[in-house]
Amino acid sequence: MRGLPTAVLLIVAGFVLAYAHTFNSYWMHVAIIAIFYGILTASWSLLAGYAGLFSLGHMAFASVGGYSSALLVQWSGIPVPLGMAVGVAVCCVLGGWIGWVCLRMTGPYLAIFTLAFSEIVRITVSTEDQVTRGMTGLHTVPLFGSASRLPYFYTAFGLLAGSLALMGFLLHSRWGLFLRAIREDEQAAAASGVAVARFRILVFAIASGFAGLAGTFFAHYNVVLTPDIGDLDRMAFIVVMTVLGGMERIPTAVGGAFCVEFLLEYLRAFGIWRLVIFGILLLLTMRFARNGLLTPLWLQFERLGDVRTAHPMLRDVTHEAGQEGANG
Amino acid sequence: MNGLPAREAEDAIVGGTALVKRFGGIAATDSVDFSVAEGDLVGLIGPNGSGKTTLINLLTGHLTPEGGDVVVRGRRMTARSPHEFAALGVARTFQLTQLFGRMTVLENMLVPGLTRPGSTRESATAQALKYLSFLNLIHLEGLEAKNLSGGQQKLLELGRALMLEPSVLFLDEPFAGVHPRLRDQLIKRILELHASGRTFVVVDHDMESILRVARRLVVMARGRKIADGPPAAVRANQSVLAAYSGL
Amino acid sequence: MDYLLIQATNGLVIGIIYALVAVGVTLIFSILKIVNFAHGDLYMLGGYTAYYAITLAGITPVAAIFIAMTVVFGVGVVLERLLLTPLYSERTERKDEYGIIVTFGLAFFLRNMAIIVFGVFPLKPPSFLEGVQRVGALVVTNDRLFAGIAGLLLIGALLYFMNGTIWGQALDAVSQSRDSASIVGINPRQFNTLAYAVGAALAAAAGALIGPIFSLSPDMGVLPNVQSYVIVILGGMGSVLGSILAGIVLGESQALFTAFMPDITRALSYSNAFSMFALVVLLMVRPTGIFGRRHLRME
Repeated sequence: MRGLPTAVLLIVAGFVLAYAHTFNSYWMHVAIIAIFYGILTASWSLLAGYAGLFSLGHMAFASVGGYSSALLVQWSGIPVPLGMAVGVAVCCVLGGWIGWVCLRMTGPYLAIFTLAFSEIVRITVSTEDQVTRGMTGLHTVPLFGSASRLPYFYTAFGLLAGSLALMGFLLHSRWGLFLRAIREDEQAAAASGVAVARFRILVFAIASGFAGLAGTFFAHYNVVLTPDIGDLDRMAFIVVMTVLGGMERIPTAVGGAFCVEFLLEYLRAFGIWRLVIFGILLLLTMRFARNGLLTPLWLQFERLGDVRTAHPMLRDVTHEAGQEGANG
Repeated sequence: MNGLPAREAEDAIVGGTALVKRFGGIAATDSVDFSVAEGDLVGLIGPNGSGKTTLINLLTGHLTPEGGDVVVRGRRMTARSPHEFAALGVARTFQLTQLFGRMTVLENMLVPGLTRPGSTRESATAQALKYLSFLNLIHLEGLEAKNLSGGQQKLLELGRALMLEPSVLFLDEPFAGVHPRLRDQLIKRILELHASGRTFVVVDHDMESILRVARRLVVMARGRKIADGPPAAVRANQSVLAAYSGL
Repeated sequence: MDYLLIQATNGLVIGIIYALVAVGVTLIFSILKIVNFAHGDLYMLGGYTAYYAITLAGITPVAAIFIAMTVVFGVGVVLERLLLTPLYSERTERKDEYGIIVTFGLAFFLRNMAIIVFGVFPLKPPSFLEGVQRVGALVVTNDRLFAGIAGLLLIGALLYFMNGTIWGQALDAVSQSRDSASIVGINPRQFNTLAYAVGAALAAAAGALIGPIFSLSPDMGVLPNVQSYVIVILGGMGSVLGSILAGIVLGESQALFTAFMPDITRALSYSNAFSMFALVVLLMVRPTGIFGRRHLRME
């Protein structure tokens, strides 16, 4: 990303961190949940937006991560961060396996399969309530002993920043090009030398790992864990947030999560109507602004201070300035 | 059939023996032997449905044969993935251009360029710009591929194949629907590339263009290879005439 | 043994209802080439429409089924016109993705709208016919019996429509080849609307039939939705007959699974997951299935 936009983001981040202690506890909670969703939408955008793998099982990994970590810490007494790491690892492996199983599946098939997988996970977690406490809720060991939410906020912020940095690094590398090529035309990508199978498995593993990370954090923040973290309504949230923001870019996906979550809280008085409104917004966005509502804003932001209008994805290109990218 | 089996086996870059591929009950290729030697410029022709594209798909790893073997430079590659073929220098273009539509022209070139071991962004970009210049597409490098004209898209697909620095290029109907002037440029470039050492297999219906490029003509009909040799000999071949008279 | 017999009969009834839902999914997939993720919510709408027809307008339960079918047919027409027309335009990219997101979003919208309009608490419509039938040790409620028979009749009507009428045959033609259909003078766009609306109407009928048996709730369509995909994939995409058979098989399997599982409370829970397991195993064994055919490029 160019210099000026990066600087702007860093300054804003700096402000947020410096003044975090002045937020009231309620809004800090909302911010933490927004960040939780941000990690999920970013990783889902990686899967569905960049690689074109439309998985409806993303929240199942958040659930698996959360429960693995919570139960492991409870049974073995290991420190929470270690439990979280194990939760993430479990999700990476499981995600990679799902990616392998789904290798030959296309669009709707993949969606249906991951949907079924998600429901199996949810029903199993819910039914085996001797272990998981099912719908009554599993009490987890909190990440911090403090009564204040501040350390959780900083941690969430750090996890999001780290996740975005990692994803950004991945996507700006050649792997990012390969993933997009796979989405555009898998057969042509293979003919161009891209090891499609390997990348599909890898992107599933990575995205699921991030979902697991979000899940483990939530488990040890919320202190109570229920199976509905992995239910279809939660998955619908992810889809709504990502599509409204813009599913083809990480920043817009995260932006979608933030906007929707804050709006959900701000419009709390409207009750279920909020969800209906977002449902309608989703349909309108798909119908008329498929790129996402935040995408035009983001594209403008990215070009701040940019003299040439070169395509945002190009880097290190040594050629004459003045090449007009018509669709930059 | 009419080839020189011993020489072919030694110099063959890619070859298939007794290749069989069925779709439903129909044999798209019916025990076909085909090999390409270093420096060949082969025209692969035949009526519609004769199995030409299927053969290309088999020789580039996009399809797995039910019978027979595919060998690349002595290595048995039957049932391997297309990207493994690409890594060994077997490149292809598609009948209907399959570009990465929403990626730029340059990005389309960078994808194959960066799959090569040892490549860096800088080296791949330099290589891409070199080929884009050669194909007269360099002024379009920032444009999304889907916004190119039909002819430009064909050229870009050729460029993308060249990025693999391939030993052999399979071109599937490169002249189809292309403006005559652009077609002449295409032919010129194929001949230039061939002169600088690249091997080609060109499939097309445009006999005039094929005859302008091909040093060797292979004819398929109904899934079988019915002729293989220098163009003059093949054109006089009775069974070839018979196969085409149905058109 | 008696328990087994009762379960088997219930399974048959449920299977017929599933089949009715799945047939709609099949129809929509063959013609519009998308998976309708909102299908379960159309089923739910049918159930509620029948309920309100009975309780507010005093219509008899049996007639209410037809009201429900008609209303949801209309809803289907509106939804298709509003949301699905981009699927037929050359300019729309990645149609698969569009279909998934739009119908998924529609499901989300309908489900939450239902919570607002109908309330969260389950509602029970009055029976079609009170009482039970006894044949030896077998006890079946009249409602279940009615649902099974009505379901079969509706499926029969659909099959007749598809094979015996001009419209139905035209639908069949469009599903096989949109281009050839338009050459013959059939307007494919009308048939897309018809297909979606008919699929919706069938789902609505299923919802209306199941209402008195299992009662209504806004999320009642979630599980039948996923189950219908299992059935459609099992039975072979595009095959109405296949969906019917597969639906009955699944209904029976699920019921027998519940009957044979030792732990009753677990059994009920897992019976819902049964179809998911079946789907997962199925897709692992035959991942390209019939969907995959579309993406095959050949000479």
